[in-house]
Amino acid sequence: MTFQDLILKLSAFWASQGCLLQQPLDLEVGAGTSHPETLFRVLGPKPWSVGYVQPSRRPDDGRFGQNPNRLFKHHQYQVILKPSPDEVQQTYLESLEACGINPRQHDIRFEEDNWESPTLGAWGIGWQVMLDGMEITQFTYFQQMGGIDLAPISCEITYGLERIAMFLQRVDNVFDLEWGGGVKYGEVRLQEEIEESKYAFGQVDMPAEEFSALHRDLFEKYLGFSDRLLASGLVWPALEHCLKCSHLFNILDSSGSIGVTERTTYILRVRQLAVKIAKAYVEKGAVA
Amino acid sequence: MDRELLIEIGCEEIPASWLPGLTVQVAKHLDARLKEFRLTPESKAEGFSTPRRLTARVAKLGERQTDFEELVTGPPVSAAFKPDGEATPAATGFAKKYGVEVSALEKHDTPKGTYLAYRVRQRGKATVDVLAEVMGGLLRDLTFPKQMRWDAFLEDGKGDLVFARPIRWLVLMYGGRVVPFVIRRTELAQGPTVQDIRSGSNTYGHRFLTTSGRAGRAIKIKTFEDYQNRLLENFVILDRAERESKIRRELETHARKLGGRVSGLVAAHSSLLQEVPDLVEYPSVVAGHFPVEFLQLPEEVLTTTMIHHQHYFPVVDEEGKLKPAFLAVTNTQAEKPEIIARNSERVLTARLRDARFFWDADRKVTLESRIERLGTILFHKKLGSYREKAERVSSLASWIASEAFTHSDASEPAATAGRLCKADLATDMVRELTELQGTMGGIYAREEGLPEAVWKAIYFHYLPIGVEADAPPSRQQLGAAAITWAAVALADKLDTVVGMFTAGERPTGSRDPLGLRRHAQGAVKILADLPELTGLDLRLEVGPLLARAAEPFGGYGDGSGPLLSFMGDRLAYLLEQRGFDVRSVRAVMAAGIERVSPLEARRKLEALAQMAGSQALLGVATLLKRVKNITKGVSSDVPANAISSALKEPAELALWAELEQRAPAIRAAAAKGDYREAFSGIAALQPTVAKFFDDVLVNAEDADLRTARLALVATLRDLILDIADISEIVAD
Repeated sequence: MTFQDLILKLSAFWASQGCLLQQPLDLEVGAGTSHPETLFRVLGPKPWSVGYVQPSRRPDDGRFGQNPNRLFKHHQYQVILKPSPDEVQQTYLESLEACGINPRQHDIRFEEDNWESPTLGAWGIGWQVMLDGMEITQFTYFQQMGGIDLAPISCEITYGLERIAMFLQRVDNVFDLEWGGGVKYGEVRLQEEIEESKYAFGQVDMPAEEFSALHRDLFEKYLGFSDRLLASGLVWPALEHCLKCSHLFNILDSSGSIGVTERTTYILRVRQLAVKIAKAYVEKGAVA
Repeated sequence: MDRELLIEIGCEEIPASWLPGLTVQVAKHLDARLKEFRLTPESKAEGFSTPRRLTARVAKLGERQTDFEELVTGPPVSAAFKPDGEATPAATGFAKKYGVEVSALEKHDTPKGTYLAYRVRQRGKATVDVLAEVMGGLLRDLTFPKQMRWDAFLEDGKGDLVFARPIRWLVLMYGGRVVPFVIRRTELAQGPTVQDIRSGSNTYGHRFLTTSGRAGRAIKIKTFEDYQNRLLENFVILDRAERESKIRRELETHARKLGGRVSGLVAAHSSLLQEVPDLVEYPSVVAGHFPVEFLQLPEEVLTTTMIHHQHYFPVVDEEGKLKPAFLAVTNTQAEKPEIIARNSERVLTARLRDARFFWDADRKVTLESRIERLGTILFHKKLGSYREKAERVSSLASWIASEAFTHSDASEPAATAGRLCKADLATDMVRELTELQGTMGGIYAREEGLPEAVWKAIYFHYLPIGVEADAPPSRQQLGAAAITWAAVALADKLDTVVGMFTAGERPTGSRDPLGLRRHAQGAVKILADLPELTGLDLRLEVGPLLARAAEPFGGYGDGSGPLLSFMGDRLAYLLEQRGFDVRSVRAVMAAGIERVSPLEARRKLEALAQMAGSQALLGVATLLKRVKNITKGVSSDVPANAISSALKEPAELALWAELEQRAPAIRAAAAKGDYREAFSGIAALQPTVAKFFDDVLVNAEDADLRTARLALVATLRDLILDIADISEIVAD
């Protein structure tokens, strides 16, 4: 099964389960959780089920395309089920079967792994799903988002697409995956990985101080503007600019541009903004 | 007639590490609830668990509650009736509360007077009619390290039912019949896919395996025996001990097939064998291999990757050397175990390939040059980065080596090891395998060619973890690094404990997220076992070490009280863990932790333990209590001739002479650490001391005589208290 077939299978499966199929957020984010289809939709009482792919950037995981398992940018298939159905584990296991993983031939386990995002003021309880010793999915029952206690509880299922595809195609190097039609993952993404890694670690033809100052400046500008957007009652654009801050913070962190105490301050500032945005979203009644 | 009670709370996977505790809880709370509801089981409840269920069973439980009778007292009779005998509002109000006439009330005599009283009599209800309340109580009683909301509540007026993970089914059967009970779902969640959970007689087996029918279907059960059998047919072993023994058996068989045995390291990491039975409902072992080239990696890296990251058991040959193989415990009985084996091999190989990448990359940069990066890793927000921490440890370790240990030759290596001991936090290997902090730094230091005194001090500086006398590291492991290691390990722990206390971080109750108790115990263990660990026979007191550790923080501020009592508790804990009597521990620590040397305390306790049967010592100890009472505030600092010239009774002169004669030997024995000798000397005083108190009245009328006698007794007191307050060893 090719990388793109896997996406098609999961999409078809979850569509058949009543999920809306959404598209990735067209911004740089670290995980599908940042997408408003998760971040906003899990707030408030309105039932919502959705599935989408989210390209996810983790600057710190960049390895210049040299590591067979680690990427600056990987792809998640994100499913949100609100409220979380009683049969959700069973349905999830059926989704694996739909992708060609026969559970009777493998060792599939749900091992404790709780999730927390300090920048989003969010946390949940759940597991990592292990397939023959490999983590393939993060499974979380959200408890809080943007500092708000959730009711009803949503279930988030996050598939690591590269991992699962490598398992299905029996390849040991992510760049050897077949993306589709005989084209390799490396052909599609290797150059991008190398360049993005260089950027993430500050290997830019520019003095380190300048690199740092530019990103700090951008952070401040986006943060300030997000606040203005929020004051104007525009929560969706406010969230987008908040997410930009989150990514800039990640870059500042991976490029070694910030010290320890400062680091906590940055996290706190993004969280405070995210909390305000979540609160505003709920208050707007956009959730009713 | 007695019938069986069976409860099964069917859950989504509960964290493995919680299950042992929950198994105990479910039985204990059920017992308590049955008692509360006046239900009488013939024997205690038994608890069981697998990742997907918490089970409790009472083999025989009576059919009815015991009857209930209680006398409720009301107003005093004096206030209950008017002079004409008519009931007051107090009396009628009380009667009305219970729906009876005043005439139906009793008069009840108490020491405080006679009161009106109502006798409540309640006939016991049928057990089936109260079990729902027992069930509700039990669900409320269970506690978890972390709980979740899952849109559920009970109809007991207490709202949300939080739990470990969502409950998916519930068995509640008494005498083979279902007792109705319901866990409701909140209105917001309730719908076609979210339903109330109603008690039933169905359980569920393994998700994918069964001996008949469709795997994962509902299985009807009747009795506990039937339940256990049906589960087994559906690939669930209910009894944890059976799961563990199946794992042990299969591990052995497979290891033998691989021509080796399961690594002894697993015993050191015994948490693996403890954890695995709670991760699976039907364990079976699969064997795999990894490419032989990875054996070039340090053994610590291989075993940590296998044990901590993959829950795999390493295999070793007869000489204890790792084989390129591992054993994995799976939760299935696969038709083709080789498929799982191949996949597990790929996962492990990928991890080892990563590790080798880190190993190669990390060695290109020296530890010394990583120190700057430590500035970006936070130790504590009030105490700064690990770079600052390492500087403090370095300076403290160097001071301990030269000043406390008086080994100036160890001072420089201790300073170096202290400065470098945290540098591995900035390596890729430790960022990935955090369990290897310290160990990895030591290995990299060795690879850099740093002397043994340095690399081993780094390697072992997180140890000791345990308080037992033989907790690692051993003198043999430490080799030439013993003294530098002790200085660095001590410095690291003291810095953490003192620093965290000054930053306001103190353990409370069961909460000790920073592991300060472990750190403090490690420090006192090093001091208590210093000769065995390092060959240094030094009785170091805790106070000066703490004071020096506190210097970089500007002293302990107001925190010295809590810190000292904390350190005292940790030393007492260590000593009690080693089997010393609690009273004796108090006796040897009476001087206050600052002035206690853990080594000295330990040796005194060993001596006291040897003399446990000595009636003479016990006699002196008993009299010491009296001595302490009558000499409160009295100083023994009185010229000897002023005492001796005033004394006249034979018994007091005898005691004076005895003290003159024995005190120097007792003090000398204590000074050289021969506490057996010192305590024997004290015990030998018994007849004279006893006779003194029989014959002499200390509080003589003559002021000079009284002063001399008090000074004499105070001399005796101080002689003993200097060594230990043995009055503590007397049972109350």
